[in-house]
Amino acid sequence: MKTLSDHIPDLNLITYYAENQRSWFSGMSPWTKFILLILVILMVTLTSDSIILIGLYLVILGAYTSAHLPVRKLFAWYILPALFVLSLVGIMAWNEPGITIISFSIGKIPFILTDRGILLVLGLLLKALTVVTYSLFFLMTTRYQHFAAMICHIFPYPVDQIFLMAYRFLFLTLAMIDSILKAVNSRGGGVIHSIRKQGRMFAEVFALVFIRSFERSERVHKAMIARGFSGSYSTTVEVPALTLYDYLIVGAGAAIVIAVAIK
Amino acid sequence: MAHIHLEDGSFTLFWACVWWAIALILISAALLWVRSGKKIDNRRITLAAFCTAAAFAVFQVSIPIFGGIHLNLTPLIGILIGPAFGSFVVLITNILSAAIGHGGWGMIGANLLVNIIEVIVAYVLFRVLKKIFPGPFARGGIATLAGLFCGNLAMIAIIIISGVQGFTQTPSQILGGLVLIAGVNMGFAFIEAGISAMIISYIIRVRPDMLESERS
Repeated sequence: MKTLSDHIPDLNLITYYAENQRSWFSGMSPWTKFILLILVILMVTLTSDSIILIGLYLVILGAYTSAHLPVRKLFAWYILPALFVLSLVGIMAWNEPGITIISFSIGKIPFILTDRGILLVLGLLLKALTVVTYSLFFLMTTRYQHFAAMICHIFPYPVDQIFLMAYRFLFLTLAMIDSILKAVNSRGGGVIHSIRKQGRMFAEVFALVFIRSFERSERVHKAMIARGFSGSYSTTVEVPALTLYDYLIVGAGAAIVIAVAIK
Repeated sequence: MAHIHLEDGSFTLFWACVWWAIALILISAALLWVRSGKKIDNRRITLAAFCTAAAFAVFQVSIPIFGGIHLNLTPLIGILIGPAFGSFVVLITNILSAAIGHGGWGMIGANLLVNIIEVIVAYVLFRVLKKIFPGPFARGGIATLAGLFCGNLAMIAIIIISGVQGFTQTPSQILGGLVLIAGVNMGFAFIEAGISAMIISYIIRVRPDMLESERS
């Protein structure tokens, strides 16, 4: 999908790996991976120790690599969280106390970038990449049917219904946007002529997406009613329960997080 | 768009939990409101699902203005499907975004607050301004701009209250940096308001029954 943003993870590729990847991790209970996600988030929230953070990142990257997931793609997808960190924290890093690396002033306002400011940005970047790597690892080693069952367990009605339908329709909508943008490009669109022209063109593209989505939702709703839809989009698959190994992994993870919190 | 550009580990555990708790209270209130009425219309659930998919997909399109910007169209969602279902849509969109690294999991609570404010303000203003601006373009643009402005204020307030872990700057120093970001955001907000106004005008011409705020 060339017309969509290149730095955003490709959902079709993620789904391909989730459905076809058969490593040890894909056999692990999705609940274990979900609990580990919470523990990873807790860990990066509770500690700023660079040794612990680097260790955690390397362990997760090791798991990602050993599951035969695409490492080069992962590094390309890092652009999004990296931009996130730099766009806000990159500005806040200026004027932190420490050894001056760069300094200048605009008018009477001084701008000083110190070693501590840079380290804070790098620390937050490492935290962001750690969680993103684990999130993508979780997505790419868990089958859709298990995610669907987990959504039904976690979210109340009607949020679970909206979530399940949205996930199912996401791929259709992405394909629709891609084909609309290709049609626009084929007519010479996509190059900046003026903000007004470009804005109008994209407004029409987005409006068309919403209108087509709306019309498709009406058609799908009628088709679902015809097939006996009663308002509940249920799943028939049970999420695999935690085994002894799962309990051991979760227990070890929780113990490490508690140790880091107490430290 | 106003979306807190921070990843996991930026807020302390306490503040991440506080924003999550407030956001969950708002989502629960929306759930109670939706469930308190007559049976939920399945058609609205399907529409909300498609809006979620459309909003998330639109969010992924890079518009080649000022080097490339992204829209999230939360005010438009509020105008289209109302504040309650709009809150569910932004909840799911934020979860899907966090899953691919566009915002942290721990930041979903704070981002939900920002987005719910955008949804509610845009929805209310679009309805209230009908007598003053009968035309959908000006009304949609103003409602979107006001929604995004309030979202920006919420973003600044949340970051100043929470602080960012490790940074020693005072709230006034943080405010300086945030005002710069909010200024850039508001520049984009004008573009998003213009695009949303065009979308609303287009939808009203083609499918006026789509708009929740026009139906009720």
